Amino acid sequence: MLEFLTQPLSEDFFLRALVALTLGGAACACLGVYVILRRMAFVSMALTHSILPGITGAVLLGISPYLGALAAALLTAAGAAWLASRKEVSEDTAIGVMLSVMLAAGVALMQQAHAWRDYGGLLFGSVVSVGPEDLAAVGATSTLILLALRVLHKELELASFDEEYARLLGARPALLRTVLLALVALGAVACVRLLGALLTTALLVLPAATGVLLGRSLAGAMGWAVACAVSGGAAGLLLSYHFEGVPSGAGIVLGCSLPYLLARLFARVR
Amino acid sequence: MKEGGRWLDALSGLPLRLLPTLPYSRPESASGNLWTAEAEDLSASAEAGGPLAFSGVNFRLRKGGRAALTGPNGSGKSTLLRVLAGLLPPAGGAVRALGRTPSTGRPQIAFLAQRPAFTTPFPITLRRLVATGTYAQHGWFEECSHRSGTVERALAMLGLSDLAERQVQSLSGGQLQRALLARAAVQGAELLLLDEPYAALDDASRELVDAHLFAPDAKFSVLMSTHGIGGLSRFDQVLEMSGGGLRERAGGAPHA
Repeated sequence: MLEFLTQPLSEDFFLRALVALTLGGAACACLGVYVILRRMAFVSMALTHSILPGITGAVLLGISPYLGALAAALLTAAGAAWLASRKEVSEDTAIGVMLSVMLAAGVALMQQAHAWRDYGGLLFGSVVSVGPEDLAAVGATSTLILLALRVLHKELELASFDEEYARLLGARPALLRTVLLALVALGAVACVRLLGALLTTALLVLPAATGVLLGRSLAGAMGWAVACAVSGGAAGLLLSYHFEGVPSGAGIVLGCSLPYLLARLFARVR
Repeated sequence: MKEGGRWLDALSGLPLRLLPTLPYSRPESASGNLWTAEAEDLSASAEAGGPLAFSGVNFRLRKGGRAALTGPNGSGKSTLLRVLAGLLPPAGGAVRALGRTPSTGRPQIAFLAQRPAFTTPFPITLRRLVATGTYAQHGWFEECSHRSGTVERALAMLGLSDLAERQVQSLSGGQLQRALLARAAVQGAELLLLDEPYAALDDASRELVDAHLFAPDAKFSVLMSTHGIGGLSRFDQVLEMSGGGLRERAGGAPHA
């Protein structure tokens, strides 16, 4: 029975995946609480999906895939902000347009790069592909995200809860929104090896949605979200290790959905 | 997990002590001006570039006074309050609040909208909401104590001490209005701009709000829009808005 745990933990690739999941999951869970409360789920999806053309483009250009992914995510954010700067265009529409364009560009670039053979890892992530250098990238981006959230905690909280009051005090809510979008782009990049361009959005949404159901303060919600991301994600990794039919990315997402379901069923109304 | 924030609060010093504290806005020295707010030939629209809500408006509010802003719906009361708060630019004319052209980033001026546009759901307690009033004194990169004496005094003053740990979204309209007045007190506002502060109040809340706003030793000035025709005798000045203009009504109690 104990072998169920010890066997995967003795394998290097599994340990690396677990560390990457803990770091990236914690960063995305905390960040996700803002994504959920500010109703930014759609924009976070667009940012994570636009990693697809970012990575394939980077492969074609011969630069670091992390740089390509980050550039594409930032391009999506900037493009959506520019499109929505006209009164007639709602933010929702702008994000939808950018999401479609970037996904289509990704598909076209994949054709160019003949990347269809490892499309699985690109779209849905793969644990075996997490190398030591990926671990360093995930560690650096996650630390940066968590530090930024800590340093700007009270400002981000106020601007998210009561934007007009933040403006009245001079706390620059518009600037904070841009910072948050940039952090979401970083978070997406941190988790792309594990979950791929299509599933990374789950780590921003599922644990945070659980945290918001359970927490009585913003920090409390973040604590619950981290617990859910790490425990649910680890359970999902174990599941996919033992059952060949469950790919790792899907396992992590399904693992994180269980705490949400439990919280949704049993959490008391605040 | 009753107070989920504590483990994080305990860590608060670590990355933050390394950073310099920056104020949200440049501090301003107290002005010796006799008028707490004044307008000359002021015009403004509810939306930048939209049709004018009022024009040719002149008034002067005495320092430490209680002024009422009356008039029918759509007469521009909210727009005028927003201009004074610095949330809307005037379309023409001159306007000053506490001796300066209105702008955001002035914690000396508090503005309470008729209905606060809070994000809901949001996990936040009433105490923490009131404590956001201290943020202007702290500035960037500094966590503040949500159990400071100022916050507790303001909670007690408005009868909220027992509700301090309640979630904001579970509060009634009257409790919320009191919480926002407590926040303005914590903020140290010298001028309170209130949009229909009595609209959502039950009798118990009304008494507590009255006692706070009309306290004889209060150090702030008040300008509030109000529908109620009765009770205007409590105000030092009554400004009536209608037909796109404003005139000062005779009457009102001279301030002691």
